[in-house]
Amino acid sequence: LATPPSPPGQDLQGWRVPVDCVRASELCAAEGSCSSRYRTLRQCLAGRDRNTMLANKECQAALEVLQESPLYDCRCKRGMKKELQCLQIYWSIHLGLAEGEEFYEASPYEPITSRLSDIFRLASIFSGMDPATNSKSNHCLDAAKACNLNDNCKRLRSGYISTCNKEISATEHCSRRKCHKALRQFFDRVPSEYTYRLLFCSCKDQACAERRRQTIVPSCSYEDKEKPNCLDLRNVCRADHLCRSRLADFHANCQASFQSLTNCPGDNYQACLGSYTGLIGFDMTPNYVDASTTSITISPWCSCKGSGNLEEECEKFLRDFTENPCLRNAIQAFGNGTDVNLSP
Amino acid sequence: GASFGLYFPRKEYSENVYIDQPAGTPLLRIHALRDSHGETAHFHLCQNLIISRARSHENHWFQIREKMGLLYLSRSLDREDFNMLSVGSWMPLSKVMLYVFLSSHPFQEKECDSATRTTVVLSLINATAPACSSLTARQLCFTEMDLSFHIKENKPPGTFHQLQLPSAHHLCQNLSITYKLLAAEGLPFRYNENTTGVSVTQRLDREERERYELIAKCTVRDGFREMEVEVPFLINVLDEDDSPPFLPNGTDTADAVVEFNRKEGTVLAALTVYDADTTPIYPLESSRKKYTGTIVTDDPWISETFRVEHIFDEIHFSPNGSQVRGTQHEYKLVLNKSISVTEHRSFQLDVLVNDTEFNGPEKSVMLHFNVSILPVSIQFPNTTYRFTVNRNAQRFAQIGKICIENCMKFRGVNITYKLLSPNVSCYAVGILQGREDRYGSLYVNDSSVLLRPECKEIQYTVQATDKQSRKHTKTLLTVVLEGTLFKKEEDCPDSCAMSKHLAECEECGGLGVLTGRCQWRQGSGKGITTNYSTCTPSIKTCPDGTCDIVESKDPAICPQDCTNGNIIGGHGKGTGNLGIKSGHGICYCFPRQNCYCEKDDIKEQFCDEVCKTVI
Repeated sequence: LATPPSPPGQDLQGWRVPVDCVRASELCAAEGSCSSRYRTLRQCLAGRDRNTMLANKECQAALEVLQESPLYDCRCKRGMKKELQCLQIYWSIHLGLAEGEEFYEASPYEPITSRLSDIFRLASIFSGMDPATNSKSNHCLDAAKACNLNDNCKRLRSGYISTCNKEISATEHCSRRKCHKALRQFFDRVPSEYTYRLLFCSCKDQACAERRRQTIVPSCSYEDKEKPNCLDLRNVCRADHLCRSRLADFHANCQASFQSLTNCPGDNYQACLGSYTGLIGFDMTPNYVDASTTSITISPWCSCKGSGNLEEECEKFLRDFTENPCLRNAIQAFGNGTDVNLSP
Repeated sequence: GASFGLYFPRKEYSENVYIDQPAGTPLLRIHALRDSHGETAHFHLCQNLIISRARSHENHWFQIREKMGLLYLSRSLDREDFNMLSVGSWMPLSKVMLYVFLSSHPFQEKECDSATRTTVVLSLINATAPACSSLTARQLCFTEMDLSFHIKENKPPGTFHQLQLPSAHHLCQNLSITYKLLAAEGLPFRYNENTTGVSVTQRLDREERERYELIAKCTVRDGFREMEVEVPFLINVLDEDDSPPFLPNGTDTADAVVEFNRKEGTVLAALTVYDADTTPIYPLESSRKKYTGTIVTDDPWISETFRVEHIFDEIHFSPNGSQVRGTQHEYKLVLNKSISVTEHRSFQLDVLVNDTEFNGPEKSVMLHFNVSILPVSIQFPNTTYRFTVNRNAQRFAQIGKICIENCMKFRGVNITYKLLSPNVSCYAVGILQGREDRYGSLYVNDSSVLLRPECKEIQYTVQATDKQSRKHTKTLLTVVLEGTLFKKEEDCPDSCAMSKHLAECEECGGLGVLTGRCQWRQGSGKGITTNYSTCTPSIKTCPDGTCDIVESKDPAICPQDCTNGNIIGGHGKGTGNLGIKSGHGICYCFPRQNCYCEKDDIKEQFCDEVCKTVI
């Protein structure tokens, strides 16, 4: 695989190689002073804000010792074994330090270094059957066919579709919790060659765009009786370690920047699409808002109605989904089969 | 609470810092707005720098002028400092954060945690400061961050921003950089050319206008060269509770009638109150506490029996062309417990709505509900019941329904139906009632009785009882047996649902049949439809999409409504995973085993586009 391009003017020597937080906590536990400081710090952080904590001598000492330990820069991998445990360790240190009210939080995940072109190369293996030259072809239907020809993809896809469509009672038309879990399994365990084709296929007609919108069974996984306020939804998401991490990762990888050609951080489309996909199956599940073929609008199930004095902040949060040039460019680039060619 | 004292007109400021910039370099200017006249702002930094990735370091480099709000470099950052501050950072760009605190009196130590604060994000650029000639007009005039501010309504005027960037001005003294504020005519904002400060000139009223969109224009002159940039300059007006509640169209009264629906949770009536202020739905509970609705009563029965539910929603007012947000509060009168059928009274119930944070005389309004609780009678319709049963009917055949007057309208009234023992020898029918059913279903309990010639007309007494009040009522029920017995076909299955064709269906009987023969339902629909072809004991009750109390007695009666087993072939499952809601072609079942839905004729056309999209 291609080596990740280094950012211009940056040497890699000063960067530490990260250890995952599960491993880092094992290393810390094996060492007497580290493990006792770690325990102290966790107690310091419980229910206190940063400044109160720093005023305490014992807490400050613990913090200084831990800054030198591998726990401090540890990170987690998407879909790793013990992912939740890893994130719990991460947030046990960062929750109080990173300040809960921060608009964008740092991602606890390792950066994605692969690129879209890697996916295209693999995708071409089974694209032989695609009538790609035919202008009437429905790419979303082709993606479903490709998935059905792969046992793993077919099994997990029909798994989430049947779970999300299972009617519970006259008042509860599905179990959202189980549907979300099945969706997470699908997107965690099926390679992105398959999942991206289903999620980000390009469409020329409405039937295709509707199929694309229906990919995650939005009637169960996305829509709800009422639309909550986006800041309220963000709070609900931040109360859950996994959702919080995936949201932070989305912000890190899809935050629009006007300094790059693609509007994406590091011109990395793959990283943005990956962290978008990582949000599916959580409270912040995003989806296409309609079956329009001309414009792509993405949003979580929330609105800024009732924001009071926080309307500006709410709209800023929502715009990262609805009017995000990085996300839109990434989706379109995937649909067109184009990636940025970065000169070394 | 939070509306007192000085405040920052923006949440975040940003600037770049380069290697080896000399001590004394000004970085950026922060302003504070006042809550009342006579306040003076004091700015202060806390001792720690927040480095991205949750690391912090003691601040040795940055200071702020306490009264002026100018952040400057007090010590030059050398390469070593840079390396230390960017360790552990993954991003190509290192950022450090500082909190600036604000107080109306000079700072003493350790006041950092309680005061109002704003964030300064400093980007550490791993290079020496660029030459002025290499900078674009955009970089010389404005920072990366949007020019977006918030100003509280009803507060004294003041300067809230300085357009000139102190760092660019300091660095590029040879350049002439001038600003203008466009689209500000007639608006309460003024630009001062000497200081490049922008101020608000009068108290703002959010209920009149809540957003101002201006344009900041910058001109850079470098010898003969001239460059211009324009960026949006936005001001949002923050709301405070300065409007009293009012009634739309003056309506403060509503009727609330309790009759057949007496169930706990029933909404009896609702009244609406408007407020020109906004009410955040987040956090919900605190907004509910700010706007209360309480029942005014001394009567413990009333306070136990009713409650008020408050919901609110954002609406728009247009005071002078521009839209501003306001709130619609809805107060619903709700039954707090189920009311007995014997209860009978009427009274006026008052609800006091209170806008607790509004400081004025009209902070509350009174809502009135005219409540009438009517009794309902538990009685059967005048006529007695008379049902006829065919002697060829089989066990679980559904004969009819028993229902007291208005029973289907009842909510929160639990009526149970019972048959009082008839002449014992001819006990042919029984009554069943589902958990949620408001009626009793009469069905054949013992089909052997139907065969006995001595049983012709059977008299029963039906009793209906209201659980809560123990009130009951009785009526007479006559079941007449009619028809002549015919010989049963041999080799017939005991379930109608097992027959796959019209012929075998109609010549056999099965559990639940009314006349001794099953009935065929001929579906007409194409593809997977709710109107599929099937064989059933009675088209009226099966398949109707619900597994009723009689059908659920035996899986052989109507598996089409009740099966929880596999269904093979094109189909859709019913509610709660029970039964076949829709099927393809003919659906037939083997009770306690599988059901099958399939098209009978082989010459069916190939799967077309409609069929494909279902997959």
